[in-house]
Amino acid sequence: MSKHNAIQLVGIEKSFDGFKALSHANFTAKWGEVHALLGENGAGKSSLMNIAAGLYAPEAGSLLIDDNEVRLSGPRAASEHRIGMVHQHFKLVRPFTVAENILLGLRNAGAGGFRTRLRKLEREIVAKAEQLGFAVDPRKPAAALSVAEQQRVEILKVLLAGARILILDEPTAVLTDQEAERLLTTVHAFARSGAAVILVTHKMADVIRYADQVTVMRAGRTVQTLDPRSISADELVRLTVGESAPAGEYQAGSRGEERLAVKDLRSVASAGERGMLAGVNLRLHAGEIYGLAGVGGNGQSELANALMGLPGATEGEIELIGVGDLRSASTERRRELGIAAIPADRYGAALAADLSIIDNFCIGQIHSGRYGAFWRLKRSQMETDVAEAIRTFDVQGVRSLRQKAALLSGGNAQKLVIAREFSRKVKLVFAHSPSRGLDVRAAQAVHTRLRAARDAGAAVLLISEDLDEVLTLADRIGVMNSGRIVAEFDRPADRQAIGKAMVDHV
Amino acid sequence: MSEQVVPIDVSQPKQRQPLLRRRYALEVRQQMAWYWQALILAAALAVGLAISALILIAAGVPGGELLNEFVIMTVFDAQSLQAVLFQASPMILVGLAGCMAFRARFWNLGLDGQMIWGAIGATAIVLFEVGPPALRLPLMLLTAAVCGALWALTPIVLKLRLQVSEIISTLMLNYLASYFLLHLLYGSWKDPRDSFPYSPPFQSFERLPEFFHGYSAGIPLAVVIAVFALWLIGFSRAGLYLRFVDANPKVADAVGVPLRKTILATVLLSGAMAGIAGFVITSGQEGRLTQSFYQGYGFSGILIAFLARNNPIAALVVALLIATLFVAGRSLQVFYQIPFSMVQLIQAILVICVASSDFFIRHRLRRVQGGES
Repeated sequence: MSKHNAIQLVGIEKSFDGFKALSHANFTAKWGEVHALLGENGAGKSSLMNIAAGLYAPEAGSLLIDDNEVRLSGPRAASEHRIGMVHQHFKLVRPFTVAENILLGLRNAGAGGFRTRLRKLEREIVAKAEQLGFAVDPRKPAAALSVAEQQRVEILKVLLAGARILILDEPTAVLTDQEAERLLTTVHAFARSGAAVILVTHKMADVIRYADQVTVMRAGRTVQTLDPRSISADELVRLTVGESAPAGEYQAGSRGEERLAVKDLRSVASAGERGMLAGVNLRLHAGEIYGLAGVGGNGQSELANALMGLPGATEGEIELIGVGDLRSASTERRRELGIAAIPADRYGAALAADLSIIDNFCIGQIHSGRYGAFWRLKRSQMETDVAEAIRTFDVQGVRSLRQKAALLSGGNAQKLVIAREFSRKVKLVFAHSPSRGLDVRAAQAVHTRLRAARDAGAAVLLISEDLDEVLTLADRIGVMNSGRIVAEFDRPADRQAIGKAMVDHV
Repeated sequence: MSEQVVPIDVSQPKQRQPLLRRRYALEVRQQMAWYWQALILAAALAVGLAISALILIAAGVPGGELLNEFVIMTVFDAQSLQAVLFQASPMILVGLAGCMAFRARFWNLGLDGQMIWGAIGATAIVLFEVGPPALRLPLMLLTAAVCGALWALTPIVLKLRLQVSEIISTLMLNYLASYFLLHLLYGSWKDPRDSFPYSPPFQSFERLPEFFHGYSAGIPLAVVIAVFALWLIGFSRAGLYLRFVDANPKVADAVGVPLRKTILATVLLSGAMAGIAGFVITSGQEGRLTQSFYQGYGFSGILIAFLARNNPIAALVVALLIATLFVAGRSLQVFYQIPFSMVQLIQAILVICVASSDFFIRHRLRRVQGGES
């Protein structure tokens, strides 16, 4: 292995509005290696990498590329130094096609008119994607892509811009086991061809399997850099969280009466297309967590939208036992009925990023009249409730109740959503990828809440592409494939059988 | 590890010497205290006024007279102050109408049409002598509000039902309203005594009373409505709903905000406020229905809402400023033969300055460490 340093960050300091995000952080990645950056949510991984990618300017410290000190004035400058970053929250222009999005990030797209260049680029995209082992339709608009597909486009974008130092922020958070494996194999090969890959993650398994080196971060500091194979997974976890966090274990619940029956639910729009619902049948019971596993893009999002009352036309029936079809109920009515929704798209369907924590929390119970009649708002009651919920649900990083929700880290934003949804009596919970992008501890907090809701008698539907999550939590497991539930398993479930049902063509 | 590593050439881009020894980087600001925002806004207005002053001097107004004309003569002279407040009351109301609509993400360009309908409604009450004299004025106010709201109903329903762009529909409905106004003024509502295109004059009990020597009751009315708007936005459940609608309609819908109801109610309220502005002009300023709506009140309303960032109290202040500008502009016209379009130019300069100041609210200049390289 080459011993030349690709990128080095020395003594980096950075704070946001007085909050110290990074304090004396050091990081070195060498050419030819996959270097993992491991840490909990809010440990400063993303901030550090945003500095490496030229998005943030550090307050102190230096950045070296090939042992030369450089100063990045922005992502463009980073791109000149062949640094490319794929962010956790994708930055694609939604109405643009894949090719147009990639064209945006290129400085020199070659000669010829716009159309000629675009056609040429389309061919390059297909070729590059094939080389990496994906299939991407360059003419598809970004808005029509699944999360996993968007990520592929992001990776292609930086590689086609010539990146040799590839930074991936939580790349496997949105992928299924197989997709993640393929991606990591690909980037591993890319690193071996002489590039450098930095993998920002909190998944121990990925680190142990694919990283040559790992740097552990905790609370804004880089704790240690080591070879992940030189220590055990438990030790690695301890380094990350500071103390040994117990692995999640399945706990059985006690199943009650039937609460929700989904009968032959189908998407109305263009039938036969991938990802559309093709007749989903599903029954949820009180006191039970039903885990819905599956490869991303097999209709999970559409099902979640239909159940949570988000846009998307469907036919069939979603019957809330004793109440009737759920689709005719307004969101307000759903809340009255005790339905809690934790959508996958945190800032697209759950939290208004520009509004305060107070507003985002209190909107959940405003209908009940808890904060006064229509003509008034009981500010003090609101503040008391939020403060209490933040304590109970351990939402961290709250400097003021009036700060924008966007300033919370991913895990804490999710905790805020859960705090809002669970701060009242719930009978039915819909959770879609609830621990996506969360660290071990935050994910466990989410799981504890879901279990607590079940034990309190709620019916819980957990739609997740993370099979481990489903296996740890679910009392019953369904597998979604091509818009239908193709198999159901009771506990103890056979992981292999579930995996087979996920990928089999039906 | 034993894999073969292909050495690659990472060419260094040419090192450019920084122009300044210290480098500055532009960053997106996360949050800013309200007083800083107010300060930046005030600074932007000051810059805009300074540029305007230079233009006026270039146009032939003696520099020394500017302060006199604008500040002393308009604010400290009782008669001018009356004129300013007189001018300000409908402006405050259209400004508030703009604030409400824009908060619901509804680009209400139909403020003119809604004002005209408010005025027509109020005049109809007068002409058809509806209700006893004592109730005439409140009835006129109410009718004006309802008529203004009804004129806003079509575009909002079209938008909610059929996604028809309100920018087109509200704008086009302005023409409909103004031609209907002309139709009335040149037709059946023409003053029979002199056949001029305006309605017969209102009687004294149909005119907005003075609430203080020489000061029209339009201002207290506008202030009351501004306070109502402030309370609605800041201290009621509707305000919370509205914040969600403004911040992210998709999230608003998903978390249980009655999206359509909120938008509908807010837009109707905006129309009602514009209608009341029409009432204030007819009953408070002119004392009859005239064609005075061609002074571009609707545009001023949009401008005021924009400059005030949709904040009702700020709208009050900005409307006063714009009204001062109008009154001072008129005296400039008389004394220095400055065209009235100069007032519009000044308005435009102020808008551009405030719009640019947004940049400093959203970004910050930060010094990057180190200088030598």
